[in-house]
Amino acid sequence: MRWLALSLAGPMLWAVMFSLVYGLHGAICAEIPGPEGLGIGARLLLVGAWGLGIAAHLALLWRVPAQGGMTAQALPRAGAWIGLFATVFTLFPVLMATSC
Amino acid sequence: MTDATAPDHSLAEAEALALPANPRQRALSLHREAARVWANDPGFRGQLTAVSHTTLGLRFMATAFVFFAIGGILSMLIRAQLATPQGAFLDTEHYNQIFTMHGSIMMFLFAIPMLEGLGIWLLPKLLGTRDMAFPRLTSLGYWCYLFGGLIMLTALLFGVAPRDGWFMYTPLSGAAHSPGINADVWLLGVTFVEISALAAAVEITVTILRQRAPGMKLTEMPLFAWYMLGTSVMMLAGFPPLIAGSVLLELERAFDWPFFDVARGGDPLLWQHLFWLFGHPEVYIIFLPAAGALSTIIPVMCRTPILGYGAIVAAILGLVFLSFGLWVHHMFTVGIPHMALAFFSAASVLVAVPTAVQIFAWIGTMWKGRPELHLPMYHILGFFLTFVMGGLTGVMLAIVPFNWQAHDTAFVTAHLHYVLIGGFVFPMMAAATYWMPLITGRRRVKGLGEAAFWVIVVGFHGTFFIMHLTGLMGMPRRIDVYPDNPEWIWLNLTSSVFGFVMTIGFAMFALDLVMQATLGKREARDPWRAPTLDWAMPLPSPNYNFASLPGPTQLSRTGSEVTMDLARGAGLLPGAPRGRRELLVTSVGVARPLHVAVLPGNSALPLVLSASIAIFVLLMLGGLYPLAGAALIPVAALIWVWGRGLVLDSDPAPVEIAPGVRLPVHSRARPTLAQSGLHALLVADGALFASLLFGLAFLSVVTPAPAAAPATAATLATGLGMAVLVGALALAAIAAHRAERTIAPGWTLAGSAFNLLALVALAWLAMQLDDPTAHARDALRAVMAGFVGLHALVATGMAFFALDQYRRGEIDAAMPGALPAWQVWQAFTAVTALIAAVVLFVQAGVS
Repeated sequence: MRWLALSLAGPMLWAVMFSLVYGLHGAICAEIPGPEGLGIGARLLLVGAWGLGIAAHLALLWRVPAQGGMTAQALPRAGAWIGLFATVFTLFPVLMATSC
Repeated sequence: MTDATAPDHSLAEAEALALPANPRQRALSLHREAARVWANDPGFRGQLTAVSHTTLGLRFMATAFVFFAIGGILSMLIRAQLATPQGAFLDTEHYNQIFTMHGSIMMFLFAIPMLEGLGIWLLPKLLGTRDMAFPRLTSLGYWCYLFGGLIMLTALLFGVAPRDGWFMYTPLSGAAHSPGINADVWLLGVTFVEISALAAAVEITVTILRQRAPGMKLTEMPLFAWYMLGTSVMMLAGFPPLIAGSVLLELERAFDWPFFDVARGGDPLLWQHLFWLFGHPEVYIIFLPAAGALSTIIPVMCRTPILGYGAIVAAILGLVFLSFGLWVHHMFTVGIPHMALAFFSAASVLVAVPTAVQIFAWIGTMWKGRPELHLPMYHILGFFLTFVMGGLTGVMLAIVPFNWQAHDTAFVTAHLHYVLIGGFVFPMMAAATYWMPLITGRRRVKGLGEAAFWVIVVGFHGTFFIMHLTGLMGMPRRIDVYPDNPEWIWLNLTSSVFGFVMTIGFAMFALDLVMQATLGKREARDPWRAPTLDWAMPLPSPNYNFASLPGPTQLSRTGSEVTMDLARGAGLLPGAPRGRRELLVTSVGVARPLHVAVLPGNSALPLVLSASIAIFVLLMLGGLYPLAGAALIPVAALIWVWGRGLVLDSDPAPVEIAPGVRLPVHSRARPTLAQSGLHALLVADGALFASLLFGLAFLSVVTPAPAAAPATAATLATGLGMAVLVGALALAAIAAHRAERTIAPGWTLAGSAFNLLALVALAWLAMQLDDPTAHARDALRAVMAGFVGLHALVATGMAFFALDQYRRGEIDAAMPGALPAWQVWQAFTAVTALIAAVVLFVQAGVS
């Protein structure tokens, strides 16, 4: 069961981060009327959350043992990489997008 | 005999598990003994009471194919209407009903039940067990599916079918714009059918995790099982948002609770979010089992182990999660904030990566092996051609500016048909032709199958490739006439002609299957020389699958010697000497045998229970709400009777599964299959609760509606009421925990009392809530209270059930009865009540 839980940890962390940043952005954008730009505080908050997520993924990657090579036994490691890559790629718009 | 690609640790496992072989017996005697115990009832009664996975799996698939044919006929009516610009074949009302029913039938009555049927029929054979974990649940799921489907079809025949499109967008599907019962038919019918999906998801999850042949490690099990595990988990998390949305919309239509009414603080986009939270994962729910079939068939057709077993498992893991981060790409044009568009666009592009990993693994397998062009391989090649094109147009649609141009045009219709027919129908045809010998025991009649394939391929691409162009030229979906657009005429006419060609192809395919079943010569065992356990049994497969169950010894070998070993009883738990249906329950990781589960036999209870639910649905459809409420009483009573059926009335002595290896039966073991099933069900329940929380958060944050009137929920008195409610449920949870540990009836009695106190507190709180018709948030508060109340009511029922078991002497220190299940449910109820109370109190305070 621990193996299964470790395998799910990376993608689960992505799901949490995706929901968190999406929810945070929703709350921030609800306060901004019309297509105005994001304030520096709001952007810092979003980028901070994203950075925190990446840090958590890196910590997970560091914790998960590298074993199993290319077999399914390496799923925890693969899951950790999947989660990290997904968080970096799907949330990188917090750096780029300028408005709600 | 695990997966051809998996690293061979099985021999070591065999020694580690130390399960000696049973002495060989006469195969025919074993077969007769097992066949008698696992047989369906004779005659027509057997049709109603069967609980065998073989019977019900095939019945699911056959019924789904009938619905596919009906959906196909509807599509031909659509194409006949669109063949000319001012078609008078259908009026607008009927056209709307027909395209809505076409989509709804294909998604809810064909694709999902077909994959459920394949999983139910195939998984026990592939995993080396005798049935699914909960045979009566399989049967209940089938009857709910059939009755729900028949309700929807009957509505179509009487001209009151849903007409708002298969995704039922509000406000079009609201009471103001869609009077009558048309939309209710969809909401209640689909929710009824989805009972079968959730039932299948629970038992597929438990069967894969707890019933694999001893020694079949999770990391070595057949890829089909990995795919089905991913699918079932997605169903557990993906269907609840749809159920939540359907319940909310039905409450709005029936009782004027304004969840989606902008004037009263609701938002139509909440429906879209909830629908697509289900709707997009649904695409992968459909695709994954099909991919599982491909991963099973391609290595056999290419005479080589599959390439990249580990990479494919990782890709499944990625797909399962990423597919839940894409739903907003169906809503790119509704005015979503730019940054959110970017999040979901990125996720939509990213999901192509794990899909591509699988495609390349399959291509690599074909490259490495020696492909043989049997009929299943034709359909696999059809899959590659079609699905890859559908995937690429999917990446196009993931790009926001293109999506804005192509949204709601025929381009999207073309894309989704490429994905669904390419990604599901072609693999299912490959699967049908591959496993038909196991189903019928007969060889196919050559010639017609190949011709059917070519007619389908030509017909499909002629219909839908052209439709991309029609869409790019601006033709919207779901219009019935286009008198002012002569440029679309020849494209539509071409699509219509080829659509009929495709239909002829499917009819030929069906005829080919019928010919094989009726005219085919007798097939030899294992005709494909496959390395998996599904072929290590007689043809056609018997209800019990294996006369003795495979263990580590059999898993480490391949070929006919395994088949003979199992048929002669050299495997584990041979025959059915105790006259009851037994199988092995194993551990999740290395599949170590833990105990013997005794399954219930044939029963009419699932049919009666589903008929009772159908009566509730029909009364709701008729607007007879008080009577519908009363109809839930027999449903509850039948569920009680169902629970009674779990109690063993025979000798619970340990069972010898191999010489010197004795295991307890399930009533004296923990955790049982039922407990694992409850955990799976609570995943779905948690997703339902999360969907309601999402709705509350969405309406609180995003909705630009006037704030609700100050809610009474934030007063001191209601705060105290909530504290009493949560406190009583917490104490009930503690009592349930103690009862499970000490087996003392006093704790169960205390738990029952605390639950009753919680129900009283909740009833008082419900009376303090604002009028739910006044504002959407008030309505959601009432729904949350209802959620907690329903769970507390069920917890009370479980506590009473346990008390009844004490009275009957069915609980003792070694036999915990219903206590473990009650404990888990009670803890879930307490936690959700606490969250709901905190959220409601905070939300009421700020509104």
